[in-house]
Amino acid sequence: MINFIIIVFGLTMLYISSTIRIEGYIKALSIQGFLLFFLVLLDYDTIILPNLIFLSFETLAVKAIALPLFLIYIIRKNGIFREVEPSVTSMSSLIITSLIFAAGFYISYWSIDAVSNIRPFYFGISISTIVAGIFIIISRKKIITHVMGYMMLENGNFLMALSIVKEMPFIVALGVLLDIFIAIYLLGLFVNKVQDEYSEIHIDTLSKLKD
Amino acid sequence: MIEILLFSPIAAIGCVLLFRSKIVNTILTVLYAVVFLIISILFCFQPAQFTDYFKTDNLNILFLIILAIVYLGVTIFNIDFLKHNDQSRKSQSLYTANLFLFVVSMIGVILSTHLALLWVFVEATTLSSSYLIYFSHSESSLEATWKYLFICSIGIAMAFVGIIFLSMGLGNADSLFFEDLYKNASIINPFWLKISFPFIMVGFGTKVGFGPVHAWLPDAHSESPSPISALLSGTLLNAAFLGIIRVNKIMECAQMSWYSHTLLIVIGFLSLFVSAVYIISIKNYKRMLAYSSIENMGIIAISLGIGGAGLFAAMLHFAAHSFTKAAFFLTSGNILHRYHSKDINQVRGLLKNDKITGWLWILCFAGIVGLPPFPIFLSEFLIIKTMFANGQIAIAVLFVLLLTIIMAGIGKAVLRMSFGNETLLNNPKSYSFLVYLPQIAFMVILVVIGISMPVFVYNIIRNAARFLSI
Repeated sequence: MINFIIIVFGLTMLYISSTIRIEGYIKALSIQGFLLFFLVLLDYDTIILPNLIFLSFETLAVKAIALPLFLIYIIRKNGIFREVEPSVTSMSSLIITSLIFAAGFYISYWSIDAVSNIRPFYFGISISTIVAGIFIIISRKKIITHVMGYMMLENGNFLMALSIVKEMPFIVALGVLLDIFIAIYLLGLFVNKVQDEYSEIHIDTLSKLKD
Repeated sequence: MIEILLFSPIAAIGCVLLFRSKIVNTILTVLYAVVFLIISILFCFQPAQFTDYFKTDNLNILFLIILAIVYLGVTIFNIDFLKHNDQSRKSQSLYTANLFLFVVSMIGVILSTHLALLWVFVEATTLSSSYLIYFSHSESSLEATWKYLFICSIGIAMAFVGIIFLSMGLGNADSLFFEDLYKNASIINPFWLKISFPFIMVGFGTKVGFGPVHAWLPDAHSESPSPISALLSGTLLNAAFLGIIRVNKIMECAQMSWYSHTLLIVIGFLSLFVSAVYIISIKNYKRMLAYSSIENMGIIAISLGIGGAGLFAAMLHFAAHSFTKAAFFLTSGNILHRYHSKDINQVRGLLKNDKITGWLWILCFAGIVGLPPFPIFLSEFLIIKTMFANGQIAIAVLFVLLLTIIMAGIGKAVLRMSFGNETLLNNPKSYSFLVYLPQIAFMVILVVIGISMPVFVYNIIRNAARFLSI
């Protein structure tokens, strides 16, 4: 069951890399939130109760529901064009992400000899998600997709931290601190519209400072 | 004592936000800076501990004292900066509150004895300094803040991945206290230790401003107000570097120093290279200083990598670079006030228009490129000497070559700005002597260290270096 959920988690990343609609990104992020919630629930016997409550709240309420809704709200409010404007075609984007996942699996099976206490699937998918998140950040042009890429990277982090939840429960809770950044980015984009500092939110507007 | 440092700012922030007055802001920041300096000097004689999570040791006391001295200098400069700043009182109070948070989070990074706690405080420094960078509320400062937050947050996420890898390698010895990590270093699974070090190095290295992950640094340093640039460069980079040094020590305890040292030398040279490439044709003098910070962090990484006497040189370089660069950035604030431009070509005849600023600018230049009697000369000399002693001739040649290019780049700009006969038409009056005092004090400290190092200072630096060598 756990392996199935993790594979679906990996599939959402492949979906993200191939779609060009921003709604697709938001849906996939929401699905990732739900999947992480199920993973937390399935690990109920290894997590202490307060931590379990906190993590289920974090994954279900914040990652799966609140953040995606807020993203939709920002997109409507700012009138952001619905396409993600990738700088590579979605086909090559899909190929690159698949290669990242292949490399992730290779590393996880290579590492299985080195360590016995780590579930290889967790490791492979989460490291690939982190790298794929960075790839999304690099290859998309809108600031809002940068933020979404960061959210995927952070989901990958969370997944990886879940694999050692038994030994170091506080590590997973610490990872949640990264959500503060996401909140600040989203609020920043939201406030940005109010202040009308930039006419369009696009990374090309962030090119004044350079050498 | 540590609790005073960590918790008294909370009351101060309350007062600042409540009164929203310039005088309260000034008095509280300076008062805290003086108390901080006194307490950190006391710590030299009497180690302190607050719960298991905060403790002074031979290594972090050096960083704490550097932070205390630079912070005091910056707050003194800040008095006039805030007095003549035309932002609203609300913005100024927010600025002061964030300044408190920023310095407390740096104290937290320096004093924490736990890897995860150190990581949390590094994140806190990012959050608290972002408003300070955005303080001028201009479009370019918004851009700089956004880049700073975004790039550093990715770096912090990478460092977190590194910490997870380290925890995976720990197996049953699940404690992330540094002392336990040093003790258990030999039983950490080498596979995970080897993957975790690059992640932590690049993660914290993003905040340090190493080579290819430096993109935020010139923007943030050039767009933030000069006191903040001085703090960012003189103290924040050191604090983030402390995380790398601590993890590097774990690698040394685990007999894998060859691995971490190679990586440190590689990233150090990348930083030097990036800095040399940009600095040779630089147009903005605040960005030039920012690239020089990248260079100096690279030098420290290299000297940690070569080990031996390089460790002493690295610790000396931390202190020397912080004071010199803080003075340099504060002086650049004076130039900006006078000329209203960050463009090197717009600034001519500095010595003629403002003698003290002009001389400080030249002295800072001499200090940062390592001319005697400034201590950077000692540290760089020691590094090169160690390289020759280790037989790393090729590295030494490359090192000297890159340093010379950077020296030429900075020298060209500084000399062009300082000399010349142009008189400024509407030359604004200087604020007061307070905008020169910190720089002069830093220069005096540097010359004293450079000419005859007091035993007290020598002991602090030597103990820090000894702490690193096992």
